[in-house]
Amino acid sequence: MPTDVPVEFPCALTLNVPFPDARLASVALQALRVDKELSSLVVRDLSTIAEEGLSEQTVLRVEYKAATNRMLRVAVNSFLESLALVMEVMEVLDHDVVEAWQGQEERG
Amino acid sequence: MDISTKKRRIALGCEGSANKLGIGVILHTGDPGSASSTSTVLSNVRHTFVSPPGTGFLPKDTAQHHRAFFVRLARRALAEAGVRVADIDCICYTRGPGMGAPLTSVAVAARTLALLWGKELVAVNHCVGHIEMGRAITGADHPVVLYVSGGNTQVIAYAEQRYRIFGETLDIAVGNCLDRFARALQISNDPAPGYNIEQLAKQGGRVLLDLPYAVKGMDCSFSGILTRAEELAAHMKAGGKGPDGEPFTAADLCFSLQETVFAMLVEITERAMAHVGSTQVLIVGGVGCNERLQEMMGAMAADRGGSVYATDERFCIDNGIMIAHAGLLAYETGFRTPIEESTCTQRFRTDEVLVKWRR
Repeated sequence: MPTDVPVEFPCALTLNVPFPDARLASVALQALRVDKELSSLVVRDLSTIAEEGLSEQTVLRVEYKAATNRMLRVAVNSFLESLALVMEVMEVLDHDVVEAWQGQEERG
Repeated sequence: MDISTKKRRIALGCEGSANKLGIGVILHTGDPGSASSTSTVLSNVRHTFVSPPGTGFLPKDTAQHHRAFFVRLARRALAEAGVRVADIDCICYTRGPGMGAPLTSVAVAARTLALLWGKELVAVNHCVGHIEMGRAITGADHPVVLYVSGGNTQVIAYAEQRYRIFGETLDIAVGNCLDRFARALQISNDPAPGYNIEQLAKQGGRVLLDLPYAVKGMDCSFSGILTRAEELAAHMKAGGKGPDGEPFTAADLCFSLQETVFAMLVEITERAMAHVGSTQVLIVGGVGCNERLQEMMGAMAADRGGSVYATDERFCIDNGIMIAHAGLLAYETGFRTPIEESTCTQRFRTDEVLVKWRR
């Protein structure tokens, strides 16, 4: 539900991305919030929230507001590409995953 | 623990400022900056985004390439280095200069690794990476550095903790001139347009075509030469003749372009050497792989009683190990980049970096 959408930024989209735990949601938040939006006609707000009724903040929430639908689409698509990269790094290169395949190589 | 007293220091470096994605793992031992310190390449892997002949690589596609290849390349770098996550001291990444979207795509991945593994980040200047790797590999003592690539053309000399720019291109990089000229002749970009120009140039040389020679004091300019070379390419395709009334070939064009731009580079390098009183030249950057450039520079250096130092394609072409190496050198002096500050920038002057690891 849009709270105070500026008149000049009528196009909005909110995404809630669930993560397995709060640690991973926090890693995604910290990695993705560093880079500023390229256009001044796009505003992005990143945060982590808890799922309904739970206490752990396992969900990454991103709220986009843009001047036009096209700008919104471009910004959100770009964000999703970066998000996909973050998730792939988590899946394949988190330290426990690395330890597992390095251990396998030693044994095998 | 004070990092400079740790016996084995290891860094993972990530590079993606242009169309090469490189990841490397480096090991430093001994007292940092002392004669007993050593640097060992544990792994250095790279994947290049090659665009079709007649085209260049665009930021969006390049960034997409880097995102697609980062994880598998990082995994390979770790496997080849044989290091554990616990062994790694820091994650280094290229802050700039370079292309915005590709730089950022790599930075996002580097941040994620740093956060997952609980390691600190080190932002690295791409040019300083080239210089430090060149110094480490060649052992060059006090050289004038010619840094030539698709994105950069600078003549650099070290003084008082800065890599100072003595001369540079006033418009485009020499490698950019070569790469864009390759498009005019539909020369393949695989493995790199400059490499293919070099091979084609070896078949030329019957005639030296007239191209503008644009050295301006300590600096040089390549955009006018590119325009003229493109005109000659169109002239050739239309069946035009050369200055001697005979037809000329793409090989003649490549030869003439190389001879002209390389002579310019030799001139501005020599000017810096005279100014600084150095006899050594270290050539770094992708264009530094060119053997004709090395030959011409070598002749000039020999005339001055000195020599040329160059590295092979593992290190002169953009790579991750140079970022790991320069980053670890900075890390050992206490340099850190907080995650919130781990941005990228398209413009990042070589002399902006305080070279604390040298006296």
